[in-house]
Amino acid sequence: MNVAIDVNAREDVPAWLAYGTPVFTVLAALAVSAVALQLLDVNPLAAYATMFVETLTTEFGLTETLVKAVPLILTGLAVYLPLKAGLFNIGAEGQLIAGALAGTWVGLNVSLPGLALVPLMFAAAAVAGAVWAGIPAWLRAKWDVNEIITSLLLTFVALEIQSYLLRGPMQGGTGNFPQSARFSDAATIPELYSGVHAGLLVALAMVVVTYVMMTRTRLGFEITFVGSNHEAAQQAGMSRYKVYLLVFVVGGAFAAMGGISEIAGAQGRYRAAFEPGYGFTAIPIALLGRNSAVKVLLAGLFFAVLFVGGSSMEVAFGVPAALVEIIQALVILFLITAEFFKNYRVSLDFDRGPSGAAVEPQGGDD
Amino acid sequence: MSENTTLRMEGILKEFPGVVANDHVDLSVERGEIHGLLGENGAGKSTLMKILYGLYSQDDGEIYFQGERLDLESPQDAIDAGIGMVHQHFMLIPRLTVAENVVLGEREPATVFREDAGEESWLPASIRNNGLVQSLAGTFSLGLDVPEQRIQELADRYGFDIDVSAKIWELDVGQQQRVEILKALYRDVDLLILDEPTAVLTPTEAERLFESLERLTDEGLSIIFITHKLKEVDAVVDRVTVLREGKNVGTAEVSSVTRADLAEMMVGREVLFEIDREAVDLGEPVLRARGVSAEDDRGIEALSGVDLTVRQGEVVGIAGVSGNGQKELAEVMAGIRDPTAGELVVGGTDITGAKPKRFVENGVSFVPEDRLRYGCAEDLSVMHNATMKDFGGAAFGDRGFLDYGKLESYAETLVDEFDVRGVRDVTETAAGDLSGGNLQKLILAREIYRNPDLLIANQPTRGVDVGAIEFIRETLLEQRKEGTGIILLSEDLDEIFDLSDRILVVYEGEFVHETTPAEADRERIGLEMTGGSGGESASDPTATHAEVTQESES
Repeated sequence: MNVAIDVNAREDVPAWLAYGTPVFTVLAALAVSAVALQLLDVNPLAAYATMFVETLTTEFGLTETLVKAVPLILTGLAVYLPLKAGLFNIGAEGQLIAGALAGTWVGLNVSLPGLALVPLMFAAAAVAGAVWAGIPAWLRAKWDVNEIITSLLLTFVALEIQSYLLRGPMQGGTGNFPQSARFSDAATIPELYSGVHAGLLVALAMVVVTYVMMTRTRLGFEITFVGSNHEAAQQAGMSRYKVYLLVFVVGGAFAAMGGISEIAGAQGRYRAAFEPGYGFTAIPIALLGRNSAVKVLLAGLFFAVLFVGGSSMEVAFGVPAALVEIIQALVILFLITAEFFKNYRVSLDFDRGPSGAAVEPQGGDD
Repeated sequence: MSENTTLRMEGILKEFPGVVANDHVDLSVERGEIHGLLGENGAGKSTLMKILYGLYSQDDGEIYFQGERLDLESPQDAIDAGIGMVHQHFMLIPRLTVAENVVLGEREPATVFREDAGEESWLPASIRNNGLVQSLAGTFSLGLDVPEQRIQELADRYGFDIDVSAKIWELDVGQQQRVEILKALYRDVDLLILDEPTAVLTPTEAERLFESLERLTDEGLSIIFITHKLKEVDAVVDRVTVLREGKNVGTAEVSSVTRADLAEMMVGREVLFEIDREAVDLGEPVLRARGVSAEDDRGIEALSGVDLTVRQGEVVGIAGVSGNGQKELAEVMAGIRDPTAGELVVGGTDITGAKPKRFVENGVSFVPEDRLRYGCAEDLSVMHNATMKDFGGAAFGDRGFLDYGKLESYAETLVDEFDVRGVRDVTETAAGDLSGGNLQKLILAREIYRNPDLLIANQPTRGVDVGAIEFIRETLLEQRKEGTGIILLSEDLDEIFDLSDRILVVYEGEFVHETTPAEADRERIGLEMTGGSGGESASDPTATHAEVTQESES
């Protein structure tokens, strides 16, 4: 028996498929993960009920989701914006850390009333993140050094600096833990509603800023054009140098704001392992939301649900944390695969002829 | 139908959403003939051939090849039936050798596993002939020795001077095309489809191709030659079928029709080959370039101290064999390549070495040679591409903000006024989805509608169909009346003669001859283009990579 696989580009993507694929693929990812849950003697349906239904219906679940969404959306934008200019910012994690460190330093060492201190912390964070992102951007714009590598490696530099500062100059609080002192009330981002802090407003504002920039301004036009064909863009008088620098610097500032939001809004102090790699999760978020800043927002919220639901499942059923990560990874893989199936039609052909010769078509095959 | 008919396509119908690409087209090709398939871009030539090659399936109609009805589901079916196709863009892997590229996909097992290997293999025939062993060997081993011999034999038989063990990247474009043809011949095809084969070739290389094709047909092969160049129809084609808007307008013996007849069949109206050029008074100089030198991408001097003055309403035609500094000249004048010496004064302002933006702002427009690379962003919409030079202007919004509604209506104006076809919605249709001629019209529209002082047009009609060529040439002359100074770089001497007020011949980065169309002596120009009587053609197709390296080492 021969099986022929035929892949054809679709001429038109039907509407039900365009909207249905993300849903189907998430379900497919969950179905595969169910096998692993079953092997651990956990009822997959109950586990998923905890993961999604509980997260989306309880107040705790919803507020936690919004809190987690803040750094995810902001780092998502930090990857999204360079992506529009044809660049890959793999180092949103490093920019987030650089911003969190700078913002924390200001929060601990400057005494001002809260209304002035918190914005100052955000500003300091944004500058640090912009510088951290500006290095790979400048190397790329000026010398054509691959930004994927430089931005990623700078993340490790940022992690080492964090490690040094939290064990040295910025170490604080009781005991000898790698963490800073607690923030004063003035340095804490105000709470909006039971645990949800004002960082959410910053994230939403940045989504709006990015959306408007990309769809309503000359700058957005230039970014889109450089991202699509930088040689034609230069011929038309646009500056690749300016665009490359700008998307990275602004992106780095976004990631940094995500970092300081998490520290000064959700954590209250800088702990060495305060975050589970938001800057890396930002990459699939930006890829899923690459068509619009609003889609980045939605993708950020979705991943926040995965994070929150994953940890409730971990607590309720005693499944290893690794399993939660597997589910998250599968969802990402399936979502990316979905893009392929959305754009291509795959048909399987079962040919039962003895030597591969054409046999009579069987009824109902088409 | 004569007995000699090898291919018959009857009533082929193919519809795409909103367009009938082929409207009940009939086509018949005889054994041993070169059959031209002529039509404007978008006339349905490529669709028809993609159906014949199994890339598309027809909605209606039948294909008969060598007496049998064909039901093609994929190119593999077409190849098995004996139909091969050479695409306009080569499908070769640069790092592999000629032989490797030719056998690619053919699954030639290594000699030891070959069924007919006999004494050459140490494996017993019983194992070799086992079906499982055969399929494994076909999948996982590759024997090149036998195919290499066969390919070399094929190449020699048809007079292709190709070393089968050379790597593809070492070959020039003409040789790469011959490898594509070899790929088809190796698969024993009886009918070869060539999709605009000369689009990528220099005139000399095209001549060589024509010779090879005639040799192929002498051997009994049939060839379908897709083109929109009438000159080529005259040169090689025996019979020609003309398509217009998806319909077959007629088939004719080339010897019995004139070029004008064919052009009229293609376009549907009379085509003017002679353009009336009104005299225009020359005004102030718009460009004064002095002693301009520039390097090419490899850092070798390509332009050696040229002087060029262009005045309002003047068309300066620059003739030359490709690769003599035209590209660099155009790019320096358009501001996207920095000169290494000399000065450029545009409209009285010295903007030597300024950023491209200054050139755009100073009224310099540029129609680049490579449309897809420098002329447009093919993934972006027609609207983006139509406004890529002017979106910064005050007409499109306040300060940093951009009014997309205005961009859209501006793009629509360009599309309407310059008759750009194939645009459903300027914000939806991507520039890359337009045919070559229509994309060129869009680019020209964008560059001209801003009423530039200086327009640099590099090969503006290359790869463009007859109707669009006429339109583009008329537009250029129209713009000249508006007082724009135009630098026209073209390899087509007729174009230079028809449009220019002054002709300069460029050879090895210098202007070697200056004349006017009225006084010009074509032979003299041809001679000057190739470096005078003692010079050789710049692109010698037989030059191999090895020779080039030796030269640079010595």
